[in-house]
Amino acid sequence: MRRRLRFGLMLLALSAGWALAGAPKPFAADTPAELAKRFAGKPYLLAFWSVDCPHCQGELELFARLLRERPDLPVSLVSVDAPELAPQVAARLAELGLGDADNWQFADARAARLRFAIDRQWRGELPRSYWFDAAHRVQGVSGAVSEAALRRWLELGLD
Amino acid sequence: MVRRLLLIAALAVGWAQAAPPKHDMAAMWSAQQAVARPLAVAAAFDGAGRLWLARVESGQLKVAQSEDSGRHFTWPVTVNALPETIAAEGESRPQIAVAADGTVHVLWNIALAKPYTGHVRYSRSTDGGRSFSAPITVNDDRAEISHRFPALLVAGQRVLIAWLDARERQAALAAGEKFAGASLYVTESTDGGASFGANRRVAAHSCECCRLAVAWRGNEAMAFWRQVFDGNVRDFALADLSEPEQLMRASDDDWHIDGCPHHGGALAADGQGGLHLVWFTQGRARQGLFYRRYDRQSFSAPYKFGNDAAQAAHPAVIASGRTITVAWLEYDGQANRVWTMQSRDGGRHWAQARSLASSEGTVDYPILLARQGKPWLVWHSEREGLQAMAVVQ
Repeated sequence: MRRRLRFGLMLLALSAGWALAGAPKPFAADTPAELAKRFAGKPYLLAFWSVDCPHCQGELELFARLLRERPDLPVSLVSVDAPELAPQVAARLAELGLGDADNWQFADARAARLRFAIDRQWRGELPRSYWFDAAHRVQGVSGAVSEAALRRWLELGLD
Repeated sequence: MVRRLLLIAALAVGWAQAAPPKHDMAAMWSAQQAVARPLAVAAAFDGAGRLWLARVESGQLKVAQSEDSGRHFTWPVTVNALPETIAAEGESRPQIAVAADGTVHVLWNIALAKPYTGHVRYSRSTDGGRSFSAPITVNDDRAEISHRFPALLVAGQRVLIAWLDARERQAALAAGEKFAGASLYVTESTDGGASFGANRRVAAHSCECCRLAVAWRGNEAMAFWRQVFDGNVRDFALADLSEPEQLMRASDDDWHIDGCPHHGGALAADGQGGLHLVWFTQGRARQGLFYRRYDRQSFSAPYKFGNDAAQAAHPAVIASGRTITVAWLEYDGQANRVWTMQSRDGGRHWAQARSLASSEGTVDYPILLARQGKPWLVWHSEREGLQAMAVVQ
């Protein structure tokens, strides 16, 4: 019992430590449904990136800029990097000033499994984003998001 | 847990885990980087039907051979005594080739400290794989930029190494100009890998992070890769590595993407002048996996294969005369599966695809090899270790 309590406390301490460090939340197979519930009746955007994707970095900079302008932007950033790359992911987000964004990271090294939960056809090309309208009709986009497209979407869908 | 799985995988292919050597901090860092599930392996059959395998363990490339097509392997021989940060995942793949005289050539990529940078490293064994030469860095530009995704072609004393090189991109950026993609570079040895000629550019504006595919068409060293065409269209190109700036467009998919597909194609030559290409695209013209043949005059129409709703990806191809074999990876919601399909008439008609192997853990790409003229599938997965099997359709 005591051991279990100690274990529980340790877990609590660990998760608190993670939260303090601004580490991304684990993105699991049921996370897409969770996000859909959170943004019920509202448009939102899911943007996938990785530390080894050069084209993702410019897009992250764009999100950093827009989030400074509008901290309530309904954008969730998801790193597809394997769980053991958590330090690199957190470092990159901190560097870009994105530590406070709605950050997620793939919780399973079997990326195909998590991609399948989002979109069966997505082969893993990056950056990849999913644009949900208020009725949660979705459009998947491969390649960096342009600022113009993003601002247009913001004006149409959010104001 | 992962470590235990890796150990089981290692044992399954008859390898024993060597005790990690003592390192200083830098070496530890690099070993740590390199240990991150180095699933990408290289394999080749030699003329006698022996299977050679190169894989990465704790920053060291290790080479072993199997007399029984992968059931048992010899104790692995370390290529690089000093651990390096070897990139061996997905598109970054070590390479191995065995020449007719028994020389074993190996090639790999090390990651440098800066993201997206690397050097190409080469070594060879002239004593049947008992020992390897001191590794050399192949790229003569030593800036901390990208020299990555190397490919290897060996025939007799000729050894060609091709890779994607960012030196021109770097120069352009330094001059305040834009540069789409990277460049395709090559160097050639005519003395069995003892020495290499100067680095030469084959083409500018390759896509930056898609693996290269190479094959011999007679004496011509052919390469097939994703190129950045006008308007950021990332379709495929074909070229003879010995003829600079002569690339030919090999697919017209019209995939406009400001991003990296991380998804190279594969190439096979059939010994009768025909080339066989497989690739992935999400272009405006077509989407999915495709096969086409090139016979010097014309390309056949792209033939679609694989299940788009199961992420069909990472195709491989091998040709033995008129028998063409294609393999690819799918994920069906439960397991990763390797599918194969075969043509008996040089790629004109295809028999129904079959699933040959599956795994529920993390997996490498399928590798197709010729074992004494017959197609073989080699597949490395975290849970099952290395599997090798003849492709019988």
